[in-house]
Amino acid sequence: MPDKKNLVVPNEWLDKDGYVPSEVKTMTNHVLSNYEMTVFTMKLITTKPDKGGAIWRLETSKGTRSLKLLHRPPARSLFSIGAQDYLARRGARVPLLVPTKNGKLYVEFGNKLWIVNCWIKPLVQASKINLEGAEKLCYGLGEFHKLSRGYQPPNGAEKPSRLTRWPEYYKKIINKIDWFRILTQTYKDAPASSYFLSVVGQFEKQAKEGLARLQQSAYPKLAARGEKYWGLAHQDYGWSNGQLGQGGVWIIDLDGVAFDLPIRDLRKLITSTMDDLGEWKLKWIKGMISAYHQGNPIEPDLYQVLLIDLAFPNEFYKHLKEMLYNPTDFLNANTGRLIKRLVKMEESKHSALEELSNWKGGRS
Amino acid sequence: MKALMIVTEKLPVPPVHGGAIQTYIAGVAPLLAERYDLTILGRTDPVLAKNETIGNVKYERVPCGGDFKKYRQEVVDWLRNKSFDLIHIFNRPRLVKAIREVAPNSRIILSMHNDMFNPEKITPAEAAIAIDNVERIINISDYVGNTIKGMYPQAADKLFTIYSGVDLNRFRPSTSAEALRIREALRKKYQISSKKVILYVGRLSIKKGVDILIRAVLELAKKHPDIALVLVGSNWYGQNKVSDYVAYLRSLAKRSPVSIITTGFVKPEEVHQWFWAGDIFVCPSQWQEPLARVHYEALASGLPIITSNRGGNPEIIRTQNKLIVDAPEDPKCFANKIAILLNDPLLGKQMGEEGRKLAEQMFGWPRVAKEILEVWEGGEKGEE
Repeated sequence: MPDKKNLVVPNEWLDKDGYVPSEVKTMTNHVLSNYEMTVFTMKLITTKPDKGGAIWRLETSKGTRSLKLLHRPPARSLFSIGAQDYLARRGARVPLLVPTKNGKLYVEFGNKLWIVNCWIKPLVQASKINLEGAEKLCYGLGEFHKLSRGYQPPNGAEKPSRLTRWPEYYKKIINKIDWFRILTQTYKDAPASSYFLSVVGQFEKQAKEGLARLQQSAYPKLAARGEKYWGLAHQDYGWSNGQLGQGGVWIIDLDGVAFDLPIRDLRKLITSTMDDLGEWKLKWIKGMISAYHQGNPIEPDLYQVLLIDLAFPNEFYKHLKEMLYNPTDFLNANTGRLIKRLVKMEESKHSALEELSNWKGGRS
Repeated sequence: MKALMIVTEKLPVPPVHGGAIQTYIAGVAPLLAERYDLTILGRTDPVLAKNETIGNVKYERVPCGGDFKKYRQEVVDWLRNKSFDLIHIFNRPRLVKAIREVAPNSRIILSMHNDMFNPEKITPAEAAIAIDNVERIINISDYVGNTIKGMYPQAADKLFTIYSGVDLNRFRPSTSAEALRIREALRKKYQISSKKVILYVGRLSIKKGVDILIRAVLELAKKHPDIALVLVGSNWYGQNKVSDYVAYLRSLAKRSPVSIITTGFVKPEEVHQWFWAGDIFVCPSQWQEPLARVHYEALASGLPIITSNRGGNPEIIRTQNKLIVDAPEDPKCFANKIAILLNDPLLGKQMGEEGRKLAEQMFGWPRVAKEILEVWEGGEKGEE
């Protein structure tokens, strides 16, 4: 048995179903001994082999719980743990952190933080095929954002904030669209390249206009209100991290939360939903925004920023990013069809955004 | 006279893990210690003792885990009840106030190696206190000094540029039998023996402009099939996860008709060997770089240098003016400059010889130490 004190959670491990390194397994025993419960069974639910994270489902003398090994650096994880605790205390529907025997919210071991959560059951996914499901998610998201306002991270925690970094992010995407262009020029013999090159200009223009509009908008003024004012965005919100349970939407997997303009989550949910629908459906977008607005009112200036972010070629970037890794495989006929679909969606996107810019309903 | 040099919290001296500031201090310390009772205070490291004396230099190390605030506290605690005539702080203006409080009578000198005076790194109020409490601010390039002056005009009279140096014995042209043997061995290992080797040394980052250099090489390869590009110090294979940028570089390189090679990590004490293996040194930096050390190393190694006009980089190769790239975001500009050297090998040789001469005259550690001593001795103010 190796000296426990020297155990360190690896930053990555073999990507194999149901696998964690043996030292990680050893560590779970020590971690669990910090909690006032008897563990009957323990089942590995999911892992992040490329980062060194894992979740186990526990059946214990105190009911069903989960053990989570947070892959981020301890100071970063501490921020998220503090946020989860803050939200739970304010009545948000997030998992309750189980304190250790010493009343701490986490165990630090192997250079990582570990937490135990109460297992929320039953949870069901909101319906993806009707607007009602999307509206429920949006309302729940709004509530979550509202309750996250005022969060102050514990001492020693990192303070991840994207609040003032939107222009940087936009610039980064603009840069990467340029890489796409250069790569397709370098791989111009690939099936999808010439079509890509014929359309990339319009997305690039959209991105550049987006940046200019953002800089001229109320964004800097809004961002300047500061972290405490706005609270947190989940950063990975969707149909699996927001699910229906007792009392409404429960929000899980909070380890990536960061200070931000909250509507970033709403924008992501809307654009990915439109992408799934294959078309920008005005009725859906209005419904989603209105539902969010019920949970967390969107002031007019913030609404303008939401529109700017919706107009940005987010989905185009998301779909084509893979190109950087293996252009030969990626730039095939399928991708050609994918790009065609994205170009086709531009029409409905354009008209939806135009309608939305004149829309006053659903917001006060 | 008792002098204390304070390193940053990031890496220890001696530079067992590399680091520009650490290399600098290690280069001048033995020379300064000939005239001063010299102590170097830095962070602890698993491979180094908590304190030791090497030659005539004393080393003291405090634990901080790389955390600045902890380091500042440790430094202050260590300094309490000790007295130094002179305290020379490296690249941490945020240490000045705290150190002044425990060392009210010491002369304080500050060395600036990059943008630590920028407003996102230090508040204007704290910066003003730092400037007020130091006797002189030594910059590693005019660019660094001018940037500080732009933000804090009151610092103007204290600023003084002292260019860094390089180990002229280790970094030397590949003329010795040993150097030639290693040159051939490295080139053979990577199957580039007969190539004109373009050399880049550094990380694979957007700021450093590696993508621009690769694109320049793709362009050049059309007319110069006998070139190869070697990216020293990084690796784009054998990693589980690569960044988007590295993936992009790799995908560009895959299309290259000429060899583009990454060497993987090279130990700091072995990097001079790669300068022996190269023929043309290129620094494609895109950002306003303070002044990258690799320029000194390439000069001393007798390689012709092509660099971007960003930040302090061009300052030390003024004589080689025509190979400074004025539009470093354009791969064609790099390709054109590289082509000049490919088409005129004699020019490259000549530039390399001049570079070595310049390095011998200007960029040995004794010159750096001498200038630091002038500052320590309260010598005349430098000119802008």
